[in-house]
Amino acid sequence: MKGGLVFALLFGAASFLSHPLWGQDDLMSFFDEPSGPEVVTSAFKAGRIINVQSPETTGKGELNFIIAHRFGRISDGWYALFGLDNAQMRMGLDYGVTDQLQVGVARSSFGKTLEANIKMRFVEQKSGGGAPVSLTGYSVVMRDGMRFPEDGLERLGIHRLSYVHQLVVSRKWSPEFSLALIPSLVHRNLVDQPARANDLGTLGFGFRYKLNNRLSVNGEYHYLLPRALEDGLHNSLSVGLDIETGGHVFQLHVTNSRGMFERAFLAETPGRWQDGDLYFGFNINRVFQVAERR
Amino acid sequence: MKRCKALLFLSLGFCIQASAQQFATREAHISFLSETPLEDIRAESQEASAILDVSTGQLAFQVPILSFHFPKALMEEHFNENYMESEQFPKASFRGTISGLDPGVKDAQGVVAKGTLEMHGVSMEREVTGTIVRTNLGWSLNASFSVACVDHDIDIPKVVSENIAEVIDVMLSATLMPR
Repeated sequence: MKGGLVFALLFGAASFLSHPLWGQDDLMSFFDEPSGPEVVTSAFKAGRIINVQSPETTGKGELNFIIAHRFGRISDGWYALFGLDNAQMRMGLDYGVTDQLQVGVARSSFGKTLEANIKMRFVEQKSGGGAPVSLTGYSVVMRDGMRFPEDGLERLGIHRLSYVHQLVVSRKWSPEFSLALIPSLVHRNLVDQPARANDLGTLGFGFRYKLNNRLSVNGEYHYLLPRALEDGLHNSLSVGLDIETGGHVFQLHVTNSRGMFERAFLAETPGRWQDGDLYFGFNINRVFQVAERR
Repeated sequence: MKRCKALLFLSLGFCIQASAQQFATREAHISFLSETPLEDIRAESQEASAILDVSTGQLAFQVPILSFHFPKALMEEHFNENYMESEQFPKASFRGTISGLDPGVKDAQGVVAKGTLEMHGVSMEREVTGTIVRTNLGWSLNASFSVACVDHDIDIPKVVSENIAEVIDVMLSATLMPR
């Protein structure tokens, strides 16, 4: 009885006295509850690593105007100002339907090519037990606009079309370093030589390494799968810098591919680095918010 | 024995009362505004957590940086990537004590919270004034203060210095319920 009373008093006193102390621990424990997996964003700065698609899409309601140039061969020297006299251009518009779905159109002076494309990031990389990679699909249809040669062969409008389908498997390993693996399928309705295949595959990879918050080094390489290796055509290799200034991303690079749409740089790169077939070029991305985000 | 039981209940009562002194929420609202002649930039988060112990006056706030949303996707990307570096510093917090709070008063009371504001990996001792009102079940808390980017090592490059204010106005409101 007496013991019980002492116990009750002690217990009461203890709970009363210790209250401010356990209050503090308890206050902080409120924040300890684990939060769910978080989406890992911004693996790359722009929608393209250099030529090829990155996992990034234009945000919802955003219109991204991309103007890109590839100049002539650097090895042309002073006479052509290392290629600057002679530019190929691509103008493109990408629109973000949602934060994950983008549609675009573009026109390249190279082959007078018109293209329409669609890109969707259907798996997001997540930290804390979520998906380890992001998965992005990209499909583009390209229409060659050159006049048909007058060689007596019959060609139809449909022969102008080619298609590329890609999967971008990307992982942001650290805030600085992101790597992407990009298998592609190229289909051409008409090829220019009988020996060439209408369908071919490439396996590409690309990376970016951030030097600081506004500057990164990028690179990409596309390997033509053995069946696709054609005489006189080579794998595409590009290296460059991304420079971000407020609303623009400037991408400056050197590449052996002069065409800026998928069929051209994946499947129709005629030059090689070791032969000096290099082109300086840039992409400028300018984003406009044209519709409400929510 | 009866007295003993009564005391036991009394002591248990202290425990229950102790926990009833804590009020919290996981849906506090924090917004901020960067005001320049060229551009006003606003962002808000509805995912801040807050907890208040009325008996001790201890107050803590915490907000995930990624939970701030902007009207433009690009602003959000720049905020996380270039300014707050949210992968490295995923949360901002305030931990401190409020003084001037009388739990018995029903009307709005002006209070001062004194404590540590941690943001972008830099802690600052701050004093923030706000108001607190007793509601049916809990407390409603409002405060606004300003944060100088330079105080928290948030670097604003020259090219965008006309678009982003050096001092950001922060507003927070929380409806705290018994925990």
